[in-house]
Amino acid sequence: MNPTAVISRRREHAGDTKSPSTWRRSALRRAPVTKRGAHQWTRAPRNERSDELAAQVGRRLNGASGTLAASVLFDSGIEHYVGAFHNPAMITPLITAAASLAASLHGVADRRPAAHRFRDTVYAAAALAGCAGTAFHLYNITKRPGGLCWQNLFYAAPVGAPMAMLLSGSLGFLAERVRDTDAHEDPKILGLPAGRTLAAATSAGIAGTVGEAALLHFRGAFQNPLMLAPVTIPPVAAALLGRASLDSSDRARPFTRWWLRLTAALGFLGVGLHVFGVHRQMGGWRNWRQNVMSGPPIPAPPSFTGLAIAGLAALTLLESRGE
Amino acid sequence: MRQFEEADAVDFVVVGTGAGGAPLIAGLAEAGFSVVGLDAGPFFRPLEDFASDETAQRQVFWTDERIVDGANPIVMGDNNSGKAVGGSTVHFAMVSLRFRPEWFKARTLLGYGADWPIDWQEIWEYYGRAERLLAISGPVTYPWGPPRPAYPYREHQLNGAAEVLARGCEAMGLAWTPTPIATLSAPRGDAHPCVYRGFCRVGCSTNAKQSQLVTSIPRAIRAGAEIRDLAMVGRIEVDEAGRATGVHYLRQGRWRFQRARNVIVAGYAIETPRLLLNSANAQFPEGLANSSGLVGKYLMTQSNQAVFGKMDQEVRSYKAPPSLTVTEHWNYCDEKDFFGGYCWMAQGPLPIEWVNVLTGSKGLWGRALREEMKDYNHQVGLKMVGEMLPDPRNQVTLTDELDQYGLPVPRITYSWGDNDKAMIAHALDQMQMGLEAAGARDVFRQENDTCHLYGTARMGFDPETSVVDADCRSWDIPNLWICDGSIFPTCGGVNPSLTIVALSLRTVDRIKALASRGDL
Repeated sequence: MNPTAVISRRREHAGDTKSPSTWRRSALRRAPVTKRGAHQWTRAPRNERSDELAAQVGRRLNGASGTLAASVLFDSGIEHYVGAFHNPAMITPLITAAASLAASLHGVADRRPAAHRFRDTVYAAAALAGCAGTAFHLYNITKRPGGLCWQNLFYAAPVGAPMAMLLSGSLGFLAERVRDTDAHEDPKILGLPAGRTLAAATSAGIAGTVGEAALLHFRGAFQNPLMLAPVTIPPVAAALLGRASLDSSDRARPFTRWWLRLTAALGFLGVGLHVFGVHRQMGGWRNWRQNVMSGPPIPAPPSFTGLAIAGLAALTLLESRGE
Repeated sequence: MRQFEEADAVDFVVVGTGAGGAPLIAGLAEAGFSVVGLDAGPFFRPLEDFASDETAQRQVFWTDERIVDGANPIVMGDNNSGKAVGGSTVHFAMVSLRFRPEWFKARTLLGYGADWPIDWQEIWEYYGRAERLLAISGPVTYPWGPPRPAYPYREHQLNGAAEVLARGCEAMGLAWTPTPIATLSAPRGDAHPCVYRGFCRVGCSTNAKQSQLVTSIPRAIRAGAEIRDLAMVGRIEVDEAGRATGVHYLRQGRWRFQRARNVIVAGYAIETPRLLLNSANAQFPEGLANSSGLVGKYLMTQSNQAVFGKMDQEVRSYKAPPSLTVTEHWNYCDEKDFFGGYCWMAQGPLPIEWVNVLTGSKGLWGRALREEMKDYNHQVGLKMVGEMLPDPRNQVTLTDELDQYGLPVPRITYSWGDNDKAMIAHALDQMQMGLEAAGARDVFRQENDTCHLYGTARMGFDPETSVVDADCRSWDIPNLWICDGSIFPTCGGVNPSLTIVALSLRTVDRIKALASRGDL
């Protein structure tokens, strides 16, 4: 077993060896070639610095939050432009998503294992804006004839869309909590084990996003069989993450990890398919100014990518220690 | 496209390629029969041939000369007959409603009209098939009638006019629903989803409209059927044994004869009786299939009165399909003092059509008309489709005048009965209440419009009281079939096209069944 294989950046800290923090940077690491000439999967030692790992996981979560923010920024930009910014409040998601994206980029670049007041403020504001947006969208649905009916769920303000803003803000906020971990502490979120909390939150986020995709693909009558992908693949990821959040062991979860990677890839694939979907509108890409608005939303699918990245970060936390 | 020799008898020649004819042509060709479909109209290519121009698009209407009379002469030519491959479905409003089940036993259960010789539950199956054929975009659940499966495509987004109907209904406590409609809300095959141009009733130039021209006709051609356009059938030939042997038709300036083992007439409620009556010979001096004397009789149209008004906000009712919401409340509610039912739908008249309404119903002209047209974006309306009762005095007959083909011009006689008038009065009051409840002002009524045609070759239980049997086969001539709106014994309070398609699909199955046991 070779500890150098698992520790990339080590900073000494007085009293570290007796630290109650016993979590490892990564549960499974590829060790150097053994005498037998084969790679050996091995567990990391239990003496690694928690704040370093926290910073790294936190940065990944910043990235996840940023992916969601970028999705919201472009999606709400297009959709609210279609709505002609009828209500001045419709500019809100553009501001909060842009700020959340900026904060996330800052967070990804920032290797310090600590939360940042600017990022915290932005993320909290973005999450609040997501909640307010959901309320606004619900109001928009219910004020129309028919109230809460399929017609309005399909075509009024999409009830699930502001949730992506809420998710971006929440993941960012969680990122900051993870980054805020002391060198000798287990990462906690609101006093709960960070990995399991994050896994549960991400699982719920994926489930909600599946709901949104299911509603809109149902509206499209699943006319292309590939439209079933976001209602079949991510639900499995949500279930696997949900199960992981209930499980306190630090065992490796390679299947969950691969399924999350598949979900992340689906987000990118979805962009490609939605680009194709725009082509299926009358006039195709020659009439892009109309069809980008009337066709499937190109910026929406990467929400799955952002959430899958967060799920992978949650796995890393889970696998690095028993919670 | 496969082509057949005129001298070789094909299994079926189908006269008319609309809602009645096209599904038959496709279904029979797919079953392996040799089929030729004839249509008097051109084979349009909508992407190239159709303009966003009301006047130019009159090219899809059947505007040949007719003589109309009676107390309430029917205005012919626009919303009730089409001349094109695909028939009237090229310009129909795409509204695809099912009959109320009780209407198939209107005489027994509701006390008026006549019973159909077909059970509603059997038609219910064919409605489902017709809806899949046309990829109907409709609501997930339908508020009236027995359960039906979800429509193949989802409902469209409501336009301004549709929302006004919904608000009015909610104020009156009536149920409403997005209309099941035959235009795509998502891609299908090569077709793009609807782009909400709003020119639906003069021909869809994008092919989002699932007319027979873009659904059954391509299938028919793929299956080996031949479609001959610009072919006006003038006469059905019958041999001494009393069997049809083919049709005489005018094409490229010369009368031709297509031999056939079976003839199916699907020319709609004016052209079908006209052809049968004009095919009279020594053996059938009163016209073909007319031993009952009912060919041309029991003509029905539907009341299509409207109430229009103005909203303070812009509605732009002419954008998107015109009838995106409907209330069938009075089709399913029997607490009223007249027979039959009606529904009403949102409206979206195009500019010339709107001028016609203003001049015809409001008497506006000159400056006053110009001023009124400035409010075009604010106008909104509700229009009924109401069941008129069958009456043998309403009929199609032949005159001595000849048209451009040298064929006798039909005379179309129509008068409303007291029941029809009572229903119209009821509907106008209800619609006005709905429009005013939705906030419209300056409300006025369009009291004279009608739409759709039915009944001139009714189906029934016996040769004395009907022209065709439940299989759409004429009682008198076993290889002569009729399948279009003219076979309806009653017309119900909904638009006819879906029911015609369902009957056509059923007739395909019946013919296949009869053929398999050697009964053709």
